[in-house]
Amino acid sequence: MATQTKKQVPIIPGLFTWPSEKPQLIASRCKKCKTVTFPKAAFCANPDCEKKRENIEVVDLSNTGTIWTFTTQIYAPPAPFRKEPFSPYGIAMVDLPEGLRVLGILTTNENLKLGMKVEMTTGKLYEDEENEYITWMWRPQG
Amino acid sequence: MKKFRDVAVVGVGLHPWGVFADKSMPEMAVEAITEALADANMEWREIESMVSGTYLWVSQREGMFGILSGTAISAAMGGIGIPITSCANACATGVALLREAYLAVASGLYDVAIAVAADKSAGGFFRPQSEDSQFDLDYIRYVMTGETNPAYWAMECQRRMHDIGTTEDDLAMVKVVTSKPSPLNPKTRYKKSFSKEDVLKSPMVCDPLHLLEICATSDGAGAVILCSMDKAKKYTKKPVLVESAVIGSPTFGDATIPLTYLSAYPRPAVGILTESRNAMAAAYKMSGRKPEDVNLIELPDNSSWHYFAYLDCILQANDGEAERLLRSGRVDPISGDLPVCASGGLGSSGEAVVAQGLFQVYEVVKQLRGEAGERQVKNNPKVAVAQTYGYAGNNAACLVSKAW
Repeated sequence: MATQTKKQVPIIPGLFTWPSEKPQLIASRCKKCKTVTFPKAAFCANPDCEKKRENIEVVDLSNTGTIWTFTTQIYAPPAPFRKEPFSPYGIAMVDLPEGLRVLGILTTNENLKLGMKVEMTTGKLYEDEENEYITWMWRPQG
Repeated sequence: MKKFRDVAVVGVGLHPWGVFADKSMPEMAVEAITEALADANMEWREIESMVSGTYLWVSQREGMFGILSGTAISAAMGGIGIPITSCANACATGVALLREAYLAVASGLYDVAIAVAADKSAGGFFRPQSEDSQFDLDYIRYVMTGETNPAYWAMECQRRMHDIGTTEDDLAMVKVVTSKPSPLNPKTRYKKSFSKEDVLKSPMVCDPLHLLEICATSDGAGAVILCSMDKAKKYTKKPVLVESAVIGSPTFGDATIPLTYLSAYPRPAVGILTESRNAMAAAYKMSGRKPEDVNLIELPDNSSWHYFAYLDCILQANDGEAERLLRSGRVDPISGDLPVCASGGLGSSGEAVVAQGLFQVYEVVKQLRGEAGERQVKNNPKVAVAQTYGYAGNNAACLVSKAW
Protein backbone atom coordinates (compact mmCIF):
# COMPACT_ATOMS: atom_id res chain seq x y z
CA MET A 1 0.00 0.00 0.00
CA ALA A 2 1.18 3.50 -0.83
CA THR A 3 0.67 4.78 2.71
CA GLN A 4 3.26 2.31 4.04
CA THR A 5 5.99 3.82 1.91
CA LYS A 6 5.45 7.39 3.01
CA LYS A 7 8.32 9.02 4.79
CA GLN A 8 7.71 10.46 8.26
CA VAL A 9 8.93 14.06 8.40
CA PRO A 10 8.86 16.42 11.39
CA ILE A 11 6.58 19.41 10.67
CA ILE A 12 9.45 21.58 11.89
CA PRO A 13 12.90 19.92 11.98
CA GLY A 14 15.41 20.25 14.80
CA LEU A 15 13.02 20.14 17.77
CA PHE A 16 13.42 16.40 18.48
CA THR A 17 15.90 13.71 17.46
CA TRP A 18 14.78 12.18 14.16
CA PRO A 19 14.89 9.64 12.65
CA SER A 20 15.13 7.75 15.93
CA GLU A 21 13.86 4.60 17.65
CA LYS A 22 13.59 6.61 20.84
CA PRO A 23 12.88 10.25 19.89
CA GLN A 24 13.88 12.94 22.42
CA LEU A 25 13.34 16.69 22.59
CA ILE A 26 16.45 18.71 21.80
CA ALA A 27 17.12 21.39 24.42
CA SER A 28 19.98 23.57 25.58
CA ARG A 29 21.62 23.50 29.00
CA CYS A 30 23.90 25.99 30.70
CA LYS A 31 27.17 24.35 31.73
CA LYS A 32 27.47 26.79 34.68
CA CYS A 33 24.05 26.74 36.35
CA LYS A 34 22.36 23.78 34.58
CA THR A 35 19.34 25.85 33.46
CA VAL A 36 17.53 23.95 30.68
CA THR A 37 15.61 25.63 27.84
CA PHE A 38 13.40 24.19 25.12
CA PRO A 39 13.59 24.81 22.23
CA LYS A 40 17.31 25.39 22.53
CA ALA A 41 18.40 28.96 23.13
CA ALA A 42 21.63 30.81 22.43
CA PHE A 43 22.04 32.11 26.00
CA CYS A 44 21.30 30.96 29.54
CA ALA A 45 17.89 32.23 30.73
CA ASN A 46 19.03 32.63 34.34
CA PRO A 47 19.27 36.41 35.03
CA ASP A 48 22.29 35.85 37.30
CA CYS A 49 24.26 33.81 34.75
CA GLU A 50 26.70 35.05 32.12
CA LYS A 51 25.41 35.55 28.57
CA LYS A 52 28.13 33.58 26.80
CA ARG A 53 27.33 31.32 23.85
CA GLU A 54 30.14 28.96 24.81
CA ASN A 55 28.39 28.21 28.14
CA ILE A 56 25.53 26.52 26.30
CA GLU A 57 25.49 22.83 25.36
CA VAL A 58 22.85 20.95 23.39
CA VAL A 59 21.20 18.08 25.29
CA ASP A 60 18.56 15.49 24.48
CA LEU A 61 15.86 15.48 27.15
CA SER A 62 14.49 12.46 29.00
CA ASN A 63 11.71 10.78 27.06
CA THR A 64 9.59 10.11 30.14
CA GLY A 65 7.82 12.55 32.42
CA THR A 66 4.76 13.31 34.53
CA ILE A 67 1.58 15.16 33.55
CA TRP A 68 1.38 18.44 35.52
CA THR A 69 -1.90 19.35 33.83
CA PHE A 70 -3.86 18.64 30.66
CA THR A 71 -6.97 19.45 28.64
CA THR A 72 -8.74 18.38 25.47
CA GLN A 73 -8.94 20.70 22.46
CA ILE A 74 -12.41 19.89 21.16
CA TYR A 75 -12.70 22.31 18.21
CA ALA A 76 -10.31 22.51 15.28
CA PRO A 77 -7.95 25.47 15.65
CA PRO A 78 -7.56 27.64 12.53
CA ALA A 79 -4.55 27.35 10.19
CA PRO A 80 -1.60 27.17 10.34
CA PHE A 81 -2.30 24.28 12.77
CA ARG A 82 -3.28 21.17 10.82
CA LYS A 83 -4.66 17.88 12.11
CA GLU A 84 -6.28 15.97 9.27
CA PRO A 85 -8.78 14.43 9.57
CA PHE A 86 -9.58 16.50 12.65
CA SER A 87 -10.53 14.83 15.89
CA PRO A 88 -10.31 16.25 19.44
CA TYR A 89 -6.88 15.84 21.00
CA GLY A 90 -5.37 15.99 24.45
CA ILE A 91 -2.69 18.57 25.29
CA ALA A 92 -0.51 18.43 28.39
CA MET A 93 2.19 20.22 30.31
CA VAL A 94 4.67 17.50 31.23
CA ASP A 95 7.36 17.68 33.92
CA LEU A 96 10.66 16.12 32.93
CA PRO A 97 13.43 14.93 35.29
CA GLU A 98 15.66 17.79 34.05
CA GLY A 99 13.31 20.24 35.84
CA LEU A 100 11.69 21.44 32.63
CA ARG A 101 7.93 21.68 32.06
CA VAL A 102 7.08 21.07 28.38
CA LEU A 103 3.97 21.33 26.22
CA GLY A 104 2.83 18.65 23.86
CA ILE A 105 -0.08 16.80 22.30
CA LEU A 106 -1.15 13.56 23.99
CA THR A 107 -1.76 10.33 22.09
CA THR A 108 -5.17 10.07 23.78
CA ASN A 109 -7.73 12.29 25.50
CA GLU A 110 -9.24 9.52 27.62
CA ASN A 111 -8.55 8.31 31.17
CA LEU A 112 -6.03 11.07 31.83
CA LYS A 113 -4.97 12.11 35.32
CA LEU A 114 -2.66 14.68 36.82
CA GLY A 115 0.54 13.01 37.94
CA MET A 116 0.26 10.27 35.31
CA LYS A 117 3.55 8.96 33.86
CA VAL A 118 3.99 9.56 30.13
CA GLU A 119 6.51 8.55 27.53
CA MET A 120 7.52 10.57 24.48
CA THR A 121 6.66 9.27 21.06
CA THR A 122 5.83 10.83 17.72
CA GLY A 123 2.56 11.02 15.85
CA LYS A 124 1.19 12.13 12.50
CA LEU A 125 -0.89 15.30 12.25
CA TYR A 126 -1.38 15.35 8.45
CA GLU A 127 0.06 13.97 5.23
CA ASP A 128 0.48 14.69 1.54
CA GLU A 129 1.27 12.41 -1.39
CA GLU A 130 4.88 11.91 -0.31
CA ASN A 131 5.17 12.38 3.44
CA GLU A 132 3.50 12.03 6.78
CA TYR A 133 4.09 15.13 8.91
CA ILE A 134 4.77 14.39 12.55
CA THR A 135 5.24 16.10 15.90
CA TRP A 136 6.25 14.86 19.36
CA MET A 137 3.48 13.39 21.49
CA TRP A 138 3.11 12.14 25.06
CA ARG A 139 1.76 8.61 25.56
CA PRO A 140 0.46 7.48 28.97
CA GLN A 141 2.49 4.55 30.29
CA GLY A 142 1.11 1.22 31.41
CA MET B 1 10.36 55.22 44.67
CA LYS B 2 10.59 58.89 43.65
CA LYS B 3 7.38 60.86 44.19
CA PHE B 4 6.12 62.65 41.08
CA ARG B 5 3.36 65.24 40.91
CA ASP B 6 -0.25 64.08 41.18
CA VAL B 7 -2.09 63.08 37.99
CA ALA B 8 -5.85 62.81 37.45
CA VAL B 9 -8.10 61.11 34.94
CA VAL B 10 -10.23 63.96 33.55
CA GLY B 11 -11.92 62.29 30.58
CA VAL B 12 -12.88 58.80 29.43
CA GLY B 13 -14.47 57.57 26.21
CA LEU B 14 -15.38 54.17 24.86
CA HIS B 15 -16.54 52.88 21.52
CA PRO B 16 -18.98 50.04 22.29
CA TRP B 17 -17.61 46.48 22.18
CA GLY B 18 -18.92 44.20 19.43
CA VAL B 19 -18.28 43.42 15.76
CA PHE B 20 -17.91 46.45 13.48
CA ALA B 21 -16.82 45.12 10.11
CA ASP B 22 -17.48 48.41 8.31
CA LYS B 23 -15.32 50.59 10.55
CA SER B 24 -11.53 50.93 10.53
CA MET B 25 -9.63 50.90 13.82
CA PRO B 26 -8.67 54.61 13.51
CA GLU B 27 -12.36 55.45 12.95
CA MET B 28 -13.30 53.61 16.13
CA ALA B 29 -10.49 55.37 18.00
CA VAL B 30 -11.77 58.77 16.80
CA GLU B 31 -15.19 57.99 18.28
CA ALA B 32 -13.62 57.01 21.61
CA ILE B 33 -11.39 60.12 21.66
CA THR B 34 -14.34 62.37 20.79
CA GLU B 35 -16.31 60.98 23.73
CA ALA B 36 -13.32 61.39 26.09
CA LEU B 37 -12.75 64.99 24.94
CA ALA B 38 -16.43 65.83 25.50
CA ASP B 39 -16.25 64.16 28.92
CA ALA B 40 -13.31 66.44 29.81
CA ASN B 41 -14.78 69.59 28.19
CA MET B 42 -11.57 69.71 26.20
CA GLU B 43 -10.50 70.48 22.62
CA TRP B 44 -8.33 68.04 20.65
CA ARG B 45 -5.64 70.74 20.35
CA GLU B 46 -5.25 70.79 24.15
CA ILE B 47 -3.74 67.27 24.08
CA GLU B 48 0.04 67.55 24.46
CA SER B 49 1.20 63.92 24.31
CA MET B 50 -0.31 60.67 23.05
CA VAL B 51 0.31 56.96 23.37
CA SER B 52 -1.54 54.38 21.30
CA GLY B 53 -1.96 50.61 21.39
CA THR B 54 -0.34 48.67 18.56
CA TYR B 55 -2.61 46.11 16.95
CA LEU B 56 -1.26 42.55 17.29
CA TRP B 57 -3.09 40.68 14.52
CA VAL B 58 -1.55 42.74 11.73
CA SER B 59 -1.21 39.86 9.30
CA GLN B 60 -5.02 39.67 9.28
CA ARG B 61 -6.12 43.32 9.38
CA GLU B 62 -4.92 46.83 8.55
CA GLY B 63 -1.23 45.88 8.22
CA MET B 64 1.18 48.75 8.82
CA PHE B 65 -1.65 51.05 9.98
CA GLY B 66 -2.29 48.58 12.80
CA ILE B 67 1.37 48.61 13.83
CA LEU B 68 1.82 52.38 13.56
CA SER B 69 -1.57 53.00 15.09
CA GLY B 70 -0.62 56.23 16.85
CA THR B 71 0.04 58.31 13.76
CA ALA B 72 -2.82 56.58 11.91
CA ILE B 73 -5.23 57.70 14.63
CA SER B 74 -3.79 61.23 14.80
CA ALA B 75 -4.14 61.50 11.02
CA ALA B 76 -7.81 60.55 11.38
CA MET B 77 -8.23 63.16 14.15
CA GLY B 78 -6.14 65.73 12.26
CA GLY B 79 -2.44 65.99 13.07
CA ILE B 80 -1.45 68.55 15.72
CA GLY B 81 2.27 67.83 15.84
CA ILE B 82 2.40 66.25 19.32
CA PRO B 83 4.72 63.41 20.37
CA ILE B 84 3.12 60.00 19.73
CA THR B 85 4.29 56.54 20.79
CA SER B 86 2.75 53.27 19.62
CA CYS B 87 3.06 50.48 22.18
CA ALA B 88 2.45 46.71 22.16
CA ASN B 89 2.16 44.82 25.46
CA ALA B 90 -0.33 42.20 24.28
CA CYS B 91 -3.63 42.11 26.19
CA ALA B 92 -2.01 44.23 28.92
CA THR B 93 -1.51 47.10 26.46
CA GLY B 94 -4.44 49.25 27.63
CA VAL B 95 -3.26 49.76 31.20
CA ALA B 96 0.35 49.91 29.96
CA LEU B 97 -0.75 52.91 27.86
CA LEU B 98 -2.23 54.49 30.97
CA ARG B 99 1.17 54.14 32.63
CA GLU B 100 2.95 55.81 29.72
CA ALA B 101 0.48 58.70 29.68
CA TYR B 102 0.77 58.93 33.47
CA LEU B 103 4.57 59.18 33.28
CA ALA B 104 4.33 61.90 30.63
CA VAL B 105 2.25 64.07 32.99
CA ALA B 106 3.64 62.97 36.37
CA SER B 107 7.17 63.80 35.24
CA GLY B 108 6.14 67.39 34.56
CA LEU B 109 6.99 67.18 30.86
CA TYR B 110 3.34 67.66 29.81
CA ASP B 111 0.12 68.80 31.49
CA VAL B 112 -2.29 66.80 29.34
CA ALA B 113 -1.80 63.34 27.78
CA ILE B 114 -4.09 60.81 26.14
CA ALA B 115 -3.97 57.00 26.10
CA VAL B 116 -5.91 55.52 23.18
CA ALA B 117 -6.34 52.06 21.67
CA ALA B 118 -8.53 50.45 19.05
CA ASP B 119 -8.72 46.77 18.24
CA LYS B 120 -10.60 44.47 15.90
CA SER B 121 -9.91 41.07 17.41
CA ALA B 122 -13.21 39.49 16.41
CA GLY B 123 -12.74 36.10 14.77
CA GLY B 124 -12.34 33.11 17.08
CA PHE B 125 -9.16 31.37 18.23
CA PHE B 126 -6.04 33.53 18.00
CA ARG B 127 -3.25 32.28 15.78
CA PRO B 128 0.39 33.13 15.07
CA GLN B 129 1.28 36.10 12.90
CA SER B 130 4.21 34.64 10.94
CA GLU B 131 5.29 31.35 9.41
CA ASP B 132 8.83 31.68 10.69
CA SER B 133 9.65 28.16 11.88
CA GLN B 134 13.15 29.17 12.97
CA PHE B 135 12.57 32.03 15.42
CA ASP B 136 8.81 32.59 15.94
CA LEU B 137 8.18 30.52 19.05
CA ASP B 138 4.48 31.36 18.80
CA TYR B 139 4.36 29.70 15.36
CA ILE B 140 6.44 26.70 16.50
CA ARG B 141 4.24 26.20 19.59
CA TYR B 142 1.04 26.50 17.61
CA VAL B 143 1.78 24.12 14.75
CA MET B 144 3.58 21.50 16.88
CA THR B 145 1.35 21.41 19.97
CA GLY B 146 -2.01 22.80 18.75
CA GLU B 147 -2.29 24.85 21.94
CA THR B 148 -5.03 27.48 21.62
CA ASN B 149 -5.59 30.22 24.21
CA PRO B 150 -8.55 28.37 25.78
CA ALA B 151 -6.45 25.17 25.91
CA TYR B 152 -3.85 27.01 27.98
CA TRP B 153 -6.51 28.50 30.26
CA ALA B 154 -8.13 25.07 30.66
CA MET B 155 -4.83 23.48 31.67
CA GLU B 156 -4.28 26.13 34.36
CA CYS B 157 -7.90 25.66 35.43
CA GLN B 158 -7.51 21.87 35.67
CA ARG B 159 -4.48 22.35 37.90
CA ARG B 160 -6.28 24.89 40.11
CA MET B 161 -9.20 22.49 40.57
CA HIS B 162 -6.71 19.81 41.60
CA ASP B 163 -4.76 22.02 44.01
CA ILE B 164 -7.56 24.10 45.52
CA GLY B 165 -10.78 22.22 44.95
CA THR B 166 -12.42 24.75 42.63
CA THR B 167 -15.64 23.07 41.44
CA GLU B 168 -17.50 23.05 38.13
CA ASP B 169 -20.25 24.98 39.90
CA ASP B 170 -17.73 27.65 40.95
CA LEU B 171 -16.58 28.03 37.35
CA ALA B 172 -20.16 28.35 36.10
CA MET B 173 -21.07 30.84 38.84
CA VAL B 174 -18.38 33.23 37.60
CA LYS B 175 -20.40 33.70 34.41
CA VAL B 176 -23.69 33.87 36.29
CA VAL B 177 -22.39 36.63 38.56
CA THR B 178 -20.37 38.68 36.05
CA SER B 179 -23.14 38.63 33.44
CA LYS B 180 -25.62 40.29 35.84
CA PRO B 181 -24.71 43.89 34.86
CA SER B 182 -24.24 43.03 31.18
CA PRO B 183 -27.74 44.10 29.99
CA LEU B 184 -27.40 47.35 31.99
CA ASN B 185 -24.17 48.53 30.36
CA PRO B 186 -24.60 50.39 27.02
CA LYS B 187 -21.03 49.47 26.02
CA THR B 188 -21.26 45.66 26.33
CA ARG B 189 -21.55 43.31 23.37
CA TYR B 190 -23.86 40.71 24.97
CA LYS B 191 -26.96 42.13 26.64
CA LYS B 192 -27.77 38.96 28.48
CA SER B 193 -27.49 37.44 31.95
CA PHE B 194 -27.02 33.68 32.23
CA SER B 195 -28.15 30.96 34.63
CA LYS B 196 -25.91 28.18 35.90
CA GLU B 197 -27.82 25.74 33.68
CA ASP B 198 -27.15 27.96 30.60
CA VAL B 199 -23.44 27.86 31.36
CA LEU B 200 -23.16 24.14 32.09
CA LYS B 201 -25.22 23.27 28.99
CA SER B 202 -23.07 25.40 26.68
CA PRO B 203 -20.62 23.37 24.55
CA MET B 204 -17.38 22.21 26.15
CA VAL B 205 -14.48 24.01 24.42
CA CYS B 206 -11.48 22.76 26.39
CA ASP B 207 -12.25 20.59 29.40
CA PRO B 208 -13.23 21.88 32.01
CA LEU B 209 -14.10 25.22 30.32
CA HIS B 210 -17.45 25.62 28.54
CA LEU B 211 -18.15 28.16 25.82
CA LEU B 212 -19.83 30.49 28.32
CA GLU B 213 -16.81 30.26 30.64
CA ILE B 214 -14.37 31.77 28.14
CA CYS B 215 -14.49 35.24 26.61
CA ALA B 216 -15.11 35.96 22.96
CA THR B 217 -12.87 38.17 20.85
CA SER B 218 -14.33 41.54 19.90
CA ASP B 219 -13.85 44.94 18.30
CA GLY B 220 -13.63 47.99 20.53
CA ALA B 221 -11.78 51.24 21.26
CA GLY B 222 -11.11 53.35 24.32
CA ALA B 223 -9.52 56.68 25.25
CA VAL B 224 -8.45 58.09 28.63
CA ILE B 225 -7.28 61.68 29.15
CA LEU B 226 -4.90 62.48 32.00
CA CYS B 227 -4.07 65.91 33.38
CA SER B 228 -1.91 67.23 36.20
CA MET B 229 -4.03 67.44 39.35
CA ASP B 230 -3.35 71.17 39.76
CA LYS B 231 -5.07 71.86 36.41
CA ALA B 232 -7.68 69.10 36.58
CA LYS B 233 -10.42 71.34 38.01
CA LYS B 234 -10.48 73.20 34.70
CA TYR B 235 -11.79 70.03 33.05
CA THR B 236 -13.81 68.13 35.62
CA LYS B 237 -15.53 68.44 39.00
CA LYS B 238 -14.65 64.82 39.71
CA PRO B 239 -10.95 64.17 39.09
CA VAL B 240 -9.90 60.56 39.64
CA LEU B 241 -6.40 60.33 41.12
CA VAL B 242 -4.00 57.84 39.50
CA GLU B 243 -2.30 56.50 42.63
CA SER B 244 -0.34 53.95 40.64
CA ALA B 245 -0.04 52.75 37.05
CA VAL B 246 2.43 49.93 36.67
CA ILE B 247 3.66 47.13 34.43
CA GLY B 248 4.77 43.69 35.62
CA SER B 249 7.00 41.19 33.86
CA PRO B 250 7.83 37.57 34.70
CA THR B 251 10.42 36.41 37.22
CA PHE B 252 12.86 33.68 36.12
CA GLY B 253 11.63 30.33 37.35
CA ASP B 254 7.90 31.03 36.93
CA ALA B 255 6.08 27.69 36.83
CA THR B 256 3.69 28.79 34.05
CA ILE B 257 4.32 28.11 30.38
CA PRO B 258 2.99 31.46 29.12
CA LEU B 259 1.14 31.54 25.81
CA THR B 260 3.65 31.70 22.91
CA TYR B 261 6.21 29.57 24.83
CA LEU B 262 6.83 25.81 24.74
CA SER B 263 8.38 25.27 28.14
CA ALA B 264 8.96 26.63 31.62
CA TYR B 265 11.80 26.05 34.08
CA PRO B 266 10.04 26.21 37.45
CA ARG B 267 12.22 27.20 40.40
CA PRO B 268 11.27 26.59 44.04
CA ALA B 269 8.96 29.17 45.66
CA VAL B 270 8.58 31.29 42.52
CA GLY B 271 5.00 30.25 41.70
CA ILE B 272 2.82 31.11 38.71
CA LEU B 273 1.71 34.38 37.06
CA THR B 274 4.69 36.25 38.47
CA GLU B 275 4.22 39.07 35.94
CA SER B 276 0.78 39.69 37.45
CA ARG B 277 1.83 39.35 41.08
CA ASN B 278 4.83 41.59 40.40
CA ALA B 279 2.51 44.22 38.89
CA MET B 280 0.17 44.16 41.91
CA ALA B 281 3.07 44.37 44.35
CA ALA B 282 4.30 47.45 42.47
CA ALA B 283 0.80 48.96 42.38
CA TYR B 284 0.47 48.68 46.17
CA LYS B 285 4.00 49.89 46.82
CA MET B 286 3.61 52.96 44.62
CA SER B 287 0.24 53.93 46.10
CA GLY B 288 1.01 52.99 49.70
CA ARG B 289 -2.30 51.11 49.70
CA LYS B 290 -3.13 47.61 50.88
CA PRO B 291 -5.54 45.09 49.37
CA GLU B 292 -8.09 45.83 52.12
CA ASP B 293 -8.28 49.48 50.92
CA VAL B 294 -9.68 48.38 47.55
CA ASN B 295 -13.47 48.43 47.12
CA LEU B 296 -13.94 48.08 43.35
CA ILE B 297 -12.14 45.70 40.96
CA GLU B 298 -12.04 45.20 37.19
CA LEU B 299 -10.04 42.07 36.48
CA PRO B 300 -9.21 40.10 33.33
CA ASP B 301 -11.92 37.42 33.30
CA ASN B 302 -10.76 35.93 29.99
CA SER B 303 -12.06 32.67 31.47
CA SER B 304 -13.58 31.52 34.74
CA TRP B 305 -10.10 30.34 35.75
CA HIS B 306 -8.74 33.89 35.28
CA TYR B 307 -11.47 35.31 37.49
CA PHE B 308 -10.30 33.25 40.46
CA ALA B 309 -6.58 33.49 39.71
CA TYR B 310 -6.77 37.28 39.36
CA LEU B 311 -9.01 37.89 42.33
CA ASP B 312 -6.39 36.07 44.41
CA CYS B 313 -3.65 38.06 42.66
CA ILE B 314 -5.25 41.49 43.24
CA LEU B 315 -6.11 40.75 46.86
CA GLN B 316 -2.67 39.13 47.36
CA ALA B 317 -4.67 36.32 48.91
CA ASN B 318 -3.83 32.71 49.42
CA ASP B 319 -5.09 30.51 46.63
CA GLY B 320 -8.70 29.64 47.32
CA GLU B 321 -9.79 32.96 48.83
CA ALA B 322 -11.34 33.93 45.47
CA GLU B 323 -13.70 30.94 45.41
CA ARG B 324 -14.79 31.67 48.98
CA LEU B 325 -15.47 35.32 48.08
CA LEU B 326 -17.59 34.37 45.09
CA ARG B 327 -19.62 31.86 47.09
CA SER B 328 -20.17 34.47 49.84
CA GLY B 329 -21.72 37.03 47.45
CA ARG B 330 -19.28 39.74 48.57
CA VAL B 331 -17.95 40.23 45.06
CA ASP B 332 -21.36 40.47 43.38
CA PRO B 333 -20.99 43.29 40.81
CA ILE B 334 -24.26 44.92 41.81
CA SER B 335 -24.96 44.11 45.46
CA GLY B 336 -21.52 43.16 46.82
CA ASP B 337 -19.38 45.18 49.22
CA LEU B 338 -16.39 44.46 46.95
CA PRO B 339 -17.90 44.57 43.45
CA VAL B 340 -15.84 42.76 40.81
CA CYS B 341 -16.38 43.32 37.07
CA ALA B 342 -19.18 45.86 37.46
CA SER B 343 -18.85 46.41 33.70
CA GLY B 344 -19.84 42.81 33.06
CA GLY B 345 -16.18 42.00 32.50
CA LEU B 346 -14.60 40.47 29.43
CA GLY B 347 -17.22 37.74 29.54
CA SER B 348 -19.95 40.26 28.69
CA SER B 349 -18.10 42.00 25.89
CA GLY B 350 -15.34 39.79 24.56
CA GLU B 351 -11.76 40.95 24.45
CA ALA B 352 -10.62 43.70 22.11
CA VAL B 353 -7.05 42.94 22.99
CA VAL B 354 -5.04 46.16 23.13
CA ALA B 355 -8.06 48.30 24.06
CA GLN B 356 -9.24 46.04 26.91
CA GLY B 357 -7.38 47.82 29.69
CA LEU B 358 -8.98 51.13 28.72
CA PHE B 359 -12.42 49.47 28.88
CA GLN B 360 -11.58 48.64 32.50
CA VAL B 361 -10.28 52.13 33.30
CA TYR B 362 -13.42 53.67 31.76
CA GLU B 363 -15.55 51.48 34.01
CA VAL B 364 -13.79 52.23 37.30
CA VAL B 365 -13.77 55.98 36.54
CA LYS B 366 -17.51 55.97 35.76
CA GLN B 367 -18.24 53.95 38.91
CA LEU B 368 -16.09 56.14 41.19
CA ARG B 369 -17.85 59.23 39.80
CA GLY B 370 -21.27 57.64 40.37
CA GLU B 371 -22.03 57.93 36.64
CA ALA B 372 -22.61 54.26 35.82
CA GLY B 373 -26.39 54.54 35.52
CA GLU B 374 -28.39 51.39 36.07
CA ARG B 375 -25.29 49.31 36.78
CA GLN B 376 -23.97 51.71 39.44
CA VAL B 377 -22.48 49.69 42.28
CA LYS B 378 -24.08 50.07 45.70
CA ASN B 379 -21.03 50.26 47.97
CA ASN B 380 -19.97 53.87 47.19
CA PRO B 381 -16.40 52.88 46.21
CA LYS B 382 -13.44 55.17 46.87
CA VAL B 383 -10.49 53.07 45.65
CA ALA B 384 -10.45 50.88 42.54
CA VAL B 385 -8.02 48.48 40.88
CA ALA B 386 -7.96 47.51 37.20
CA GLN B 387 -5.64 44.78 35.99
CA THR B 388 -5.08 43.26 32.56
CA TYR B 389 -3.12 40.18 31.65
CA GLY B 390 -1.57 39.30 28.32
CA TYR B 391 0.25 36.89 26.07
CA ALA B 392 3.85 36.04 26.76
CA GLY B 393 4.07 37.30 30.34
CA ASN B 394 2.61 40.79 29.96
CA ASN B 395 0.69 42.47 32.76
CA ALA B 396 -0.32 45.97 33.80
CA ALA B 397 -2.33 47.31 36.72
CA CYS B 398 -3.53 50.61 38.10
CA LEU B 399 -4.98 51.81 41.37
CA VAL B 400 -7.16 54.93 41.19
CA SER B 401 -9.26 56.82 43.75
CA LYS B 402 -11.82 59.57 44.21
CA ALA B 403 -10.11 62.94 44.56
CA TRP B 404 -12.98 65.32 45.29
